[in-house]
Amino acid sequence: MGRILLEAASVAVAGAAFAFAANELSPRGLDLARNYFPSGAGSSVARPNASAPAPVTTATNENSAAAEIDQRVRDKGLQPLDRLQTERLFHDPRYDDGLIVFVDARGEDDYHDGHIPGAYELDPFHPDKDMANVLAPCQIAVQVVVYCTGGDCEDADSAALLLRDAGISREKLFVYGGGFTDWTDHHLPVARGERNSPAAPAQTK
Amino acid sequence: MNGVAPRDGVAPEVAGAGSWRANAFALGAVAARWLLGGLFVYTGLEKAADPVAFLKLVRQYDLVQSAYLLNAIAGALPWFEVFCGLLLVTGVAVRGAAAALVGVLIPFTAVVWHRALVLQAARGIPFCAVKFNCGCGTGEVFICGKLLENFALVLLGVWLIAGCGRKWSWRYSVIPPAAGK
Repeated sequence: MGRILLEAASVAVAGAAFAFAANELSPRGLDLARNYFPSGAGSSVARPNASAPAPVTTATNENSAAAEIDQRVRDKGLQPLDRLQTERLFHDPRYDDGLIVFVDARGEDDYHDGHIPGAYELDPFHPDKDMANVLAPCQIAVQVVVYCTGGDCEDADSAALLLRDAGISREKLFVYGGGFTDWTDHHLPVARGERNSPAAPAQTK
Repeated sequence: MNGVAPRDGVAPEVAGAGSWRANAFALGAVAARWLLGGLFVYTGLEKAADPVAFLKLVRQYDLVQSAYLLNAIAGALPWFEVFCGLLLVTGVAVRGAAAALVGVLIPFTAVVWHRALVLQAARGIPFCAVKFNCGCGTGEVFICGKLLENFALVLLGVWLIAGCGRKWSWRYSVIPPAAGK
């Protein structure tokens, strides 16, 4: 029995060494020191910006799931948006001028499969590849709308907090809680491929 | 290969050498070793291929508060499973590898069970109707099937720990007989 336990301990030590080395060497490996799920703790609840669209309270109150998402977003010091507010910002002339920016936080594959036209890509789990492209437009913009799949997905929260930590003012950061699922459920415009790619014109699902 | 290695503790496949029953038993133990090892290699690689997805699934169990520990579990556990699975498939340190995998299986089965109870209460449905992605590397599964599968895997692991699976092992034990006594 002692021999088996000794062998199990040896396997455990060698396995752990192998596992941590493999995680370190893997291009998809996790950064062990990083907090991938920032809570936004310490930041006070953001006050609604005067230029922000008016909240549609009926839609929020009617749907307890949406209310829970809004509360989760607020708890992180971020500002929630519902679909109507997001749609309004999408059709706002300032969107074409770069004063309103949309950021897609769902990851590269999902982004290429379909995203809100004009949205920038920012994968909160691999921000290094996207941050340089996203940061400058966000600094110029007066409002930044971040979205992910919606529902339980918190990647938009994480991406918004990354932007906040990178210097984007909290007051202009918004999270579209319904996310891309809500967007496509309402047959709103979707683009495929790279951002503003001529090969992937905007289309409606 | 080590098919005729000397006895080491309980080695039922050697006890009746020559008889077809002993051979069938030994081959069954080899199949168990390959099945258990192969399954862990497969599910480990599935998780390691998308560690972010696995990280999100592990987070749902609320096992640890430390971000470092959470990342360590999600980043290293899949590769640990691959390592132990490879040992079983090749027949190296068979009992130690089986013990390590059983040591991983039992607590994770317990947390999966607990998570299913929480989901059952939240959804108000029969326990066996609970279906979710438990982070086991096989996507969404019904909980009762998953628990039965894990129970069977633990039994296979215990069988290997008991001394089976020596046949066609490359290096059945890496601990010299004098050690660990």
